[in-house]
Amino acid sequence: MNIEYLLIVIAIMSGATFATRLPPFVLFSGNEQHQLLQFIAKYTPPMVMSILVIYMLKSVDYLSIEGFYVVIALIVTIGVHLWRRNALMSIVAGTVVFMVFVQS
Amino acid sequence: MIRVALKTTLPIFFGYLPLGITFGVLFQELGYPWYFATLMGICIYAGAAQFMAVGLIAAGTGFVEIAIATFFLNSRHLFYGLALLNSFGNWGLRKLYLVFGLTDEVYALMSTIEVPKGADKPQFYFLMTIFSQSYWVLGCTLGAWAGTKLVFNKQGMEFAATALFTVLLIEQWAKIKKPLPFVVALIASAIALLLFAQQMLLFAISISIIIMIVLRLTNQKVHDEY
Repeated sequence: MNIEYLLIVIAIMSGATFATRLPPFVLFSGNEQHQLLQFIAKYTPPMVMSILVIYMLKSVDYLSIEGFYVVIALIVTIGVHLWRRNALMSIVAGTVVFMVFVQS
Repeated sequence: MIRVALKTTLPIFFGYLPLGITFGVLFQELGYPWYFATLMGICIYAGAAQFMAVGLIAAGTGFVEIAIATFFLNSRHLFYGLALLNSFGNWGLRKLYLVFGLTDEVYALMSTIEVPKGADKPQFYFLMTIFSQSYWVLGCTLGAWAGTKLVFNKQGMEFAATALFTVLLIEQWAKIKKPLPFVVALIASAIALLLFAQQMLLFAISISIIIMIVLRLTNQKVHDEY
């Protein structure tokens, strides 16, 4: 246990993490209206969202029983969302179904 | 507005609390007092990086290596600000905090949902960010403080993050209503998984943005319709 070491590590990691989140705001400040930048701004979120979903689902073993639970929970999440369009309700429904399955 | 912000960020609560607890439990095995887990949640506020930190600290890794590893692990965040340049105004310190707190989940929410009518935008974003971080800090603290004594069975709760991204993907589809970005993301993910599986997120996001820019600059149809 070395408190000084830990504190320096925390400071460094805090700075390094902030350094990954700050650059766009510094680099493009004042150019927000640039056409290409607006194009990127509009189409990055759908792409990132697709990629995050793929990332979360890529390491699931779909031939295992857990893979089956993931598929069911996804169907519940999507189904409830298309039905009610209430994000919280869809997320809670899918998560609860998954928890009930994996804990039983 | 506090209630609306709480309700909007509640899905993040279900994701961050169990993940934070898992981190806290791991962290207390290092032998440091519990409140350093709280401090890490407050100062670093990055899930994957904090998990990595446990291993690096245990090994007594050097500072330069830690800085580089953290930066690369989180480098996908370099692109997140792009979508929010227009959403964030010149709000001084508050803006700096919003940038600091731009995690995957917060970015996903902010880039998808509309600020409720009549709500003060900077204030709403600020509340979303600080509530989300509070859930994370609470999880880290609980995990490190109560450690393995924590009895409630959170197994499977990690699905909340997948569900959140899935729901927001549907909302993005409802907003954009054109297939191109989704197809590009699929192709970019496949390339990234095949070639750079270790850094899938970073490469998939970079490749997808590059493909979109190239398409826009070279293809008249994409230029006109998107």
